Amino acid sequence: MKLSDVSIQALRLAIHSGEISAREVAETTLQAIEQHNPQLNAWTEVTGQRMLKEAESIDAKRQRGEDLPPLAGIPYAVKNLFDVAGYSTLAGASLFSQRPAARADAFAIDRLRQAGATLSGMLNMDAYAYGFTTENSHYGATRNPRDLSRVAGGSSGGSAAAVAAGLVHFSLGTDTNGSIRVPASLCGTFGLKPTFGRLSRSGSHPFVASLDHIGPFARRVDDLALVYDQLQAADSADAFQASRPAAATLPGLSRGLEGLRCGVLGGFFSEWCDEEARAAVAVVAAALNAQDEVMMPEAELARSAAFIMTAAEGGTPYLPALRQMPEQFEPNSRERLLAGAMMPAAWYLQAQRFRRHFQQQVLPLFSKFDLLIAPATPCSAITIGQQTITINGEELPAKASMGMLTQPISFLGLPVCTVPLATRSGLPIGLQLIARPFNEAAVLRAAWVLEQQGFTVAQINMAGA
Amino acid sequence: MNSPDWTHYIAHMEQILQLELDDARRAELLIQLTRIAQMAEPLMAYPLDDRLDVAGVYQA
Repeated sequence: MKLSDVSIQALRLAIHSGEISAREVAETTLQAIEQHNPQLNAWTEVTGQRMLKEAESIDAKRQRGEDLPPLAGIPYAVKNLFDVAGYSTLAGASLFSQRPAARADAFAIDRLRQAGATLSGMLNMDAYAYGFTTENSHYGATRNPRDLSRVAGGSSGGSAAAVAAGLVHFSLGTDTNGSIRVPASLCGTFGLKPTFGRLSRSGSHPFVASLDHIGPFARRVDDLALVYDQLQAADSADAFQASRPAAATLPGLSRGLEGLRCGVLGGFFSEWCDEEARAAVAVVAAALNAQDEVMMPEAELARSAAFIMTAAEGGTPYLPALRQMPEQFEPNSRERLLAGAMMPAAWYLQAQRFRRHFQQQVLPLFSKFDLLIAPATPCSAITIGQQTITINGEELPAKASMGMLTQPISFLGLPVCTVPLATRSGLPIGLQLIARPFNEAAVLRAAWVLEQQGFTVAQINMAGA
Repeated sequence: MNSPDWTHYIAHMEQILQLELDDARRAELLIQLTRIAQMAEPLMAYPLDDRLDVAGVYQA
């Protein structure tokens, strides 16, 4: 059985029927990681013993004749900013490598454990989650499985690469300004950034509390929906979680485009991308019968406001460490963090208030449209070490600009599914399917239609097992 | 309006926040702070209602 070609539900059924054991799945996964991670550099820690123990627990359940939970025996991995009991939470930073081990799993990992998934380890990221390329000075660059000379995107680069390489069925990442959507786009896999406040973040290392989201990556839309459904649960420990009951999305996927009115975001979103991205948008617009161009006023200002909030909230918590041990910091980020910690408070508060204003301007669009389409990145994956990209005739800093089209959307806190399409260059590019708050079902349904109709790029498999 | 002198601002903040910087770090800090200032300028010029609150979590 080629594990990566089998859906989560099919693999669970195979384990349930005894066709394969959860331990065999775990062992095959660990062997594939051992073989391919040296090239990929996605895992910073492999939790082999834990994975085998979790797998054996599933096999024991089966032998006792118990029902298996929805993710029984399914391999996954998490960005290394989630707490995993017994391990130091790195958040991509050597600064944290010596801190005490986490005493408990993050809330999301505990949910996945209860659902029967088996944890293979923790994944590389940009230090402190501050970046879009996962070129980490201390832990190395994560390579894009579709072209090892290129970046995987960031900051959840390891999470996208692990899934896109076919080494695990799903992974967890976080998205503050685009850190799920950018790597999903560049690695050519599916990613879901839910509504801000939808999923608990407790037990994850914060970056920008006002903007941080957690979410899954997967190779198939039904897998993405299933994992998202398992992650939905109330958690009083997360002060930013919205009070909203769980709403399963998997059962509704087959409703497809029923009742969905789709539009294409123009202006800022169609100007700041290359021809390949525009071509991908045109393909999806035709497939989803999106005939109207929709303008999102002040999107560029929203990006600036997100940038300022990120600098201030991202930098200030590090001030004591920046004072006491500056040599321990990632050189790409140190002065960026410090600049954020010393900016005038008026800038930060204006950005926070503008966010409310921007929401008030944009949300009425959803009275006419259920789904908006935009590129996730201005272009496909750049090469490792590349400093600039040329978009719209302008040379832009590559690391900061890969997230320019995702920032205004996470600033709004809207749910987004990234769907990967092929380009003429052979590299994938992702599109954002965007809906009103809490309408994750709509973005997943549209993504499922695009996948079923063959518009999305074929998934690859480094392992070949 | 003249552009603010961010070198002086950094020197003051270095004292207030009790930082010890060298010239190379001050130079990089100047680049970073100037970049944020460029982004802040149009945002600060944008008129917002004085009763407008910050955004919270969606509850609808």
